[in-house]
Order: sequence, then structure tokens, then C-alpha cells
Amino acid sequence: MTQIKTITLLSASMTALIMIALVSVLLGQYPIDFVTLMGYIDFKLFGGSVNDTYALLDNIILQIRLPRILLAILIGASLASSGAAFQAMFVNPLVSPGILGVLAGAAFGAALGMLISEQWYIVQILAFIFGFIAVGLAVLIGSMVTNSRSTIMLVLGGVISGSLFTALLSVVKYVADPYSTLPAIVYWLMGSLTMADLHGVLLVSIPMLLGIFGMIMMGKYFDILSLGDEEAKALGINVAMVRAVAIVLATLTSSLSVVMAGMIGWVGLIIPHIIRMAVGPSHRLLMPLSAIVGAIFLLLADSVSRLAFSVEIPLGIITSLIGIPIFIIVLKNARAAWN
Amino acid sequence: MELNPIITVNGLHFSYHKNTVLDGIDFSLHRGEVVSLLGPNGCGKSTLIRSILKLIHAKKGEILINGKMINDYSHREIARHIAYIPQYHNVPFNYTVLEMVMMGRVSKLGFFASPSKHDREIAYEALTKIGIDNLHSRPFGQLSGGQKQMVLIARALTQEVNTFIMDEPVSGLDYGNQIRLLELILELGSHGYTFLKTTHYPDHALLVSSRVVVMNKGKIIADGKPNEVITSEMINKVYGIGADLVSHDNRTYCFPVFNKGVL
Repeated sequence: MTQIKTITLLSASMTALIMIALVSVLLGQYPIDFVTLMGYIDFKLFGGSVNDTYALLDNIILQIRLPRILLAILIGASLASSGAAFQAMFVNPLVSPGILGVLAGAAFGAALGMLISEQWYIVQILAFIFGFIAVGLAVLIGSMVTNSRSTIMLVLGGVISGSLFTALLSVVKYVADPYSTLPAIVYWLMGSLTMADLHGVLLVSIPMLLGIFGMIMMGKYFDILSLGDEEAKALGINVAMVRAVAIVLATLTSSLSVVMAGMIGWVGLIIPHIIRMAVGPSHRLLMPLSAIVGAIFLLLADSVSRLAFSVEIPLGIITSLIGIPIFIIVLKNARAAWN
Repeated sequence: MELNPIITVNGLHFSYHKNTVLDGIDFSLHRGEVVSLLGPNGCGKSTLIRSILKLIHAKKGEILINGKMINDYSHREIARHIAYIPQYHNVPFNYTVLEMVMMGRVSKLGFFASPSKHDREIAYEALTKIGIDNLHSRPFGQLSGGQKQMVLIARALTQEVNTFIMDEPVSGLDYGNQIRLLELILELGSHGYTFLKTTHYPDHALLVSSRVVVMNKGKIIADGKPNEVITSEMINKVYGIGADLVSHDNRTYCFPVFNKGVL
């Protein structure tokens, strides 16, 4: 992959993302035409002439659509880049952000928060904390047996940790009030961006962007980690350190995505596969391109969830319904991309 | 022979689950040598090599690289002195040959730096030196075993070091590729590169080495010139089979002798 081709691909996909985001701002129950939007942006940014619809646009764009679009972009990019990072770290094309139990842990934390408190920020903090606890438990189980196959033990630790928190989640559901708390937990677990507010989105955008950019910067190390631990060490990589940093970044971003929008599956698994098939496995291009295309995918999926039916379908259901057939196609063509 | 060895191993002991694998190894590798490590399965050859690369840690004994204790080196620093050439293998992601070779440059790059044009040129040079530059854009996974092994050697060359460690490099290669690989080692050796390689074949040790080290049951039992070390007695003692050594054209060849009446 030449330098020019890399830059072309990245700028083309970035342009596509911005275009789709702009169109998403226009579409909805109250459609906005392009000229009005341009006038509104002119008014907001450069003090252009006022129009009496701008108070309404303030509400629709700033309070509803913009936070949601930004959140879709952040979460899509987070899930796709952590998926690609996990696949390289565990030398396995079939792992995804859920592999170390982070999604199950965060889901349990959020459900627990809904059970014990009315405050939404308690829910978010608990989701984040238990996402990290689940990964910590997975790493602890994985390090109990120390030998050269520690990667497999770590994945096994993730499976155990994930199962534990899924069981604990069931306990919370069982004791939750079936008329108020239980439906709230169930709907939240289906994944949705409806809770997005501009202030919250801007707040989480800082750690999420740091995590995404951190993982993108680690691309050349992911190439080498995928050769296996011993070869990576012999080539001069501090394997334990690189893996620890990558796990922290991937856990941080995927926990925050659960905090903001519940469980959104399949993005972290299918997007890196599609990119790998299209441009090859080198992580120096795979990482940034996965982040951008993941953002586009989630933005489109959320638009479908908002617009396609008179009732909004939870986003997690949409990504699964789109993701599963794509994954079957990917599996069929996967042999060219990985041995 | 220089006074300061590249690698010095003093009294190295290693045990795994109470099984002694290395039992007091004293060994040194000097610049310009091509050393073959010979010995039966489980004699500790690979363990010695992996200790020298700091992939495993021995409880007792010391290893020095260029006079400095191995514990004072990071993996990155070791990679700037010694290149490891593994047996050819499959990679889960199908990198191109050029991408694979460029990975040898990682120990030279800063933490956030991407490989530059200079790194790309070094990778091409290495491919050209091995004579496989025509493969540069091919997917690594679609190469033959011999080609994969050559790519891994090219990758080691991009580390710009003088010392190579190989673990049974000919394993899994067909006869032609085995001989081509030995020829390449001989040629690189004559250009001043230092090699430490394990092998299962006394013949290969006779063909390319300047020195042969024989290990058995975690100990070094012979160390010296190939012709002096590889004898019928040694092969009988270490492998438990009969062997004849025959000279032809100033070269020595090792022939196995079958025990009559096995059945």
C-alpha cells in the first residue's frame, strides 16, 4: 500500500462521513432543507441574518440531531477500532470488543445503577466501572496460568468473566421492578442513541477520541503482535506493555460506548473484516479506516433506526439485523484476507 | 577470532516443572562464526536459543550480549544486536511480502513514527540481496515454504545487525530449498555475518558451519571444528545409531548405518 493510496483512501472516506453526517442533520420527522441549514450555520458561526425558524432549529439540531449524530460517529469509530485492535492482539479474526467481558460487565453495572438509583449519571459511572472490573477479572484469570499460550488463557478468562456478569445481570433483572425498572433495563440493553445530549456527548468525546487515536497510533505494533508473542519480542516489542496499553484503550472506548448507548453488537466484528478484505491487513491503514467506516456504518444504522419505521427500532437490533448477513458474506470470502 | 564474544553464556541452568532442561551451559559466540547446535530432541538446543533471545528466563547462570548482562537489555535493544529468524509459519493476516519485511524495522523506529521512505528502501535492498525482490507485492500466505523462509531472512537483514539466530531453519522445506537455504547461510557467513543455528542434520552442520556444538541432556558434550566433533562415536552416543563418515573432494559426509535385524 503506497503512501498516496493511503492518504487518498482516508480523505475519501472522511469526506463521505462528513457528507452523510450533513444529510443526517437534514432528515427526520421535521425535514430541514439545505438552504435553511446553510443560513442557520451562517447565523450561528458568523452572525448572519436571523430567521424566525432558528429557535426551532436550535431545538431540533442542537438538542436532538447533532448530539445523536456525533454520538453515532464516536461509538461507531470506538467499536470498530477496538474490534480491530482486539483481533490483532489475540491473533484471532473472530474476536470483538465483547471478548474480555467488557460489554457484559458494563451492562451489569448499568442495570445495577438503574436498580439502586434514579440518577442517570450513577448508571453511567457504574457501567464504566464494571466494564473495567470485568476486564480486570479476565486478565486475572488469564494470568493464573503463566506460559507461552497466555493469549488463549486471556480469551478464556474473558469468556468466564463475561458469563459471570451475564449471570449477575440476570439476577438484577430478576429482582428489578417488572413494571418500571425491568423494561428500562431491557430497552437500554437493546442499544439506543436517544439519550444523547450535547453536553454529555462532548464530555465523553474527549476520552473516546483519545482512545481511538491511541489505537490508531499503535497500528505498526498490532502488525507485529499478530505474528505471535515470541516473534514480536524478538523483533524488539515490549509485548506485555503494548498489550496492556491496547487493552486499556479498547476497554475505555468500548465501556464508554455502553455507557452512552447500551449494547450495540456486530460493529466491532464486521467492520475490520470488511476493511481487511478491501485494503489488506496492514494495521497502519486498517486502524484509521476501520474507525471512519465504523462511524459511517453506525450513522447509517441509526438513520435507519430513526427514519425507516414510524416507531423507532432500537439501534442494537438494527446493527445485528444488518451485521449478521454481512458477516455471513464476509466469512464466505474471508479466505483471501486471512489464512 | 576477536577477544570479545558477541554472546557469552556462563553456567546456565534451566528447569521446567522439575525437569532439568539446561544443566550448566558454558558457551560463547564470536564474530564471524557460523555455529551449528546439534543434538537430539529435548536436549535443550531451543531452550538455549530462547534464553539468549530473552524469551525465557533462566533461574541460574548468566548471559551477556556484547559484554552486558541480558537483564539490562530491553527486547528492543536485543533486536538491535541480534536478529531471530524463526521457522517459516502461517500468519493469521495475509500481509504482503514487503509489509512483512518492513516489520524488521520496528526496533529502529520511534514510538509514534511510521516507517519512512528510507525504511522502505532498506526493505527492498534486503529483498534484492536475497534475490526475491520480484515477490514484494505477493501475499505472504500464498508463498511456498522456501519462499516464506527467504522472506523471514530478508526481514532479519532489515534489522541491520550482524548476528542471526535460527531455530531449525530447514525444517519443513523440500530438498532443493534446504540446499538453497544452506548456500545462503554459507554466503552470508562469508560476508562476515555471524550465525547460531540449531539443526537436526550432521550433514548440514558439516556443509556450512565453522564450528559445531553438540548438546545432550542439557549439557554441551562437544564443541569444536565440524570434522573433529562429528564422529561415528559422537553420533552413536548422542543419537543411538550407527554412522560412517566418508571424505570426498575435501568434504566430509555422514552416512547412517542401519542395524541389521531390527525385526
